[in-house]
Amino acid sequence: MSRKFLETESPGWVADGLISEAQRQQLLARYPTDAPTLGLLPLLGSVLVGLSALSVVAANWQALPAALRLALLLGSLLGAYGAGAYFLRRGNADLGHGLIGLGLILFGASIILVSQLYQLVGYDVSGLLAWVVAGTALSYVYGSRLLVLLTVLIGAAVQTYCVQVLGSFSYATAALVAAGLGYYWWRRPAVVSSTVLAVGLLWQAGLLVAVLHAKITWFFVPAMAIYAAGDWQANRAGARALQAPPLVAAYLFMFGLATFGETDTYANVLRPPLLPYLASLAAVFALSVAGKRAHGRMNTLLDWLLLLPGFYLPGGLPLAVATLVVLYAHAGSVLARAHRNQDSDQLTLGAVLFVAATAVAYFKLTWAFLDKSLFFLLGGVLLLGLSWYLRRRNAQTLAAAPPALPTEATDAPDAEASIHNL
Amino acid sequence: MPDLLTWASNPARRRPLLRLLVAAQVLYVLGVAGAGYATTALGQHVVLATTPVDPRDLLHGDFVRLRYVISDASLNQWHDAAAPRRRQGVFVLLAQGPDSLSTTVGVYPKAPTAAPGQAVLRAWITDVYRHSLTLRFNLERYYVPEGSGLRLEKAGRLHPLRVHVGIAPWGQARIERVEDVGAVRK
Repeated sequence: MSRKFLETESPGWVADGLISEAQRQQLLARYPTDAPTLGLLPLLGSVLVGLSALSVVAANWQALPAALRLALLLGSLLGAYGAGAYFLRRGNADLGHGLIGLGLILFGASIILVSQLYQLVGYDVSGLLAWVVAGTALSYVYGSRLLVLLTVLIGAAVQTYCVQVLGSFSYATAALVAAGLGYYWWRRPAVVSSTVLAVGLLWQAGLLVAVLHAKITWFFVPAMAIYAAGDWQANRAGARALQAPPLVAAYLFMFGLATFGETDTYANVLRPPLLPYLASLAAVFALSVAGKRAHGRMNTLLDWLLLLPGFYLPGGLPLAVATLVVLYAHAGSVLARAHRNQDSDQLTLGAVLFVAATAVAYFKLTWAFLDKSLFFLLGGVLLLGLSWYLRRRNAQTLAAAPPALPTEATDAPDAEASIHNL
Repeated sequence: MPDLLTWASNPARRRPLLRLLVAAQVLYVLGVAGAGYATTALGQHVVLATTPVDPRDLLHGDFVRLRYVISDASLNQWHDAAAPRRRQGVFVLLAQGPDSLSTTVGVYPKAPTAAPGQAVLRAWITDVYRHSLTLRFNLERYYVPEGSGLRLEKAGRLHPLRVHVGIAPWGQARIERVEDVGAVRK
């Protein structure tokens, strides 16, 4: 509840006799006006001064002697870390972590600019791997969300550089991010860094598939391995946060398959060798099921519907129908789970998925037979009717819900719950 | 159970750990600089000729784009049973010619042993054609030192430049200087 909300609403509460004026004052005193907003001005000021210094240096960079350039880089690196440690000691955690993050960025910039200074060509990623190592170590020491985020980004950037410029995949970088930050997530599954970590790892998995020139469906084996890791995480919110990106990827793929997959030209590039692919996916599935069983989360088992390898079916009608059935079943499973947990966010999400599946079904199955105007009319009516029905259903469920919601399933923050509960 | 995360995030250890990490980072950056000097001091030196490039493509802000004669290799020089693939990392065996310029002897997927007077430079295949392949050395950018007096952007358009490259025993390479021989001859 924000202070502003309290200020505008509380006079009404006094007028209605809910609370007394003294209680209102007590409430207001309990939530003081945010003081740190004033602290933002000097920060912005110093950022501007810093930018001006930066542009002076950048404009004359090539003209500076090598030793001075080196000294400037190392000086700003030391300055950023020193200032970060200073502000952390003074209790200003945000600024402190921000400055330490700046130091980490400056470390990478120093590696790149010094290589450039000596016209040095690196043939492997070891030069930049040190950057990821430093980021992981700092994340461990400070336990800051910002540093974890930076390290995941740095890992993804280094991997991208390696694949783009050096033409090879750096398994060391991937292992370092997965193991180093994965262990961090295992112990401290804060919601935001879990999602970021999953996205960063998915990015690297995608790069690996691209480098190996493998069929893109192989991507889902590492992606679902990330998902399975979530099943073993004791913290439910952290688990769902990690699982959301792989699930979104799988859903988008299934959706794309339903929309574009009916011609065999698309389907052909999706089919890896049947046995190895299914065996590896089944191994990950077994791992996931074991995790769900151990933590009593069998109700999320139907997430795996999205991983059914429908692309082995011959392209055309069988594939289109199969993917649609899967999309409907998945939307249904989300709705059913939402009804059981009486979770309004999940209900909304389920409704959206259901409508999306209907739209695809309508588009795919009736396009050839109907006149276009009729198609739009019927499609619109169908969607409106469905959304009205689901909305009513949604309201009824919530009205019937007991006042105290079961907390375990809904302890993720509201804004993100809709994604996490996919 | 002593685990790494609890150990590292202990506030009492924060200061010494940060000092250690920062010192390691400073040493690392100094090490990168040291590798630059060491490549010149300990490495082999080869001289490569460039071919003129499109003048519009030449000057990119702070650096000059260089294109080497050895960037093009004939498929006859490819030494492997498997066909070369795009983006593959390869090793180029170079031998010094009579005019002190190095030319390609062969292109190998694995590092070849260099005879005296030969050097090995790493490269990536950028394109494979029917009878030739093109290579990238990551030496295609030369960050022009200010006041070097080289009017490279003009010179490279008219005649080849000579690029002195140092190759460290551990495989790193750096451009040591770029020489405008055409201007001297005139």
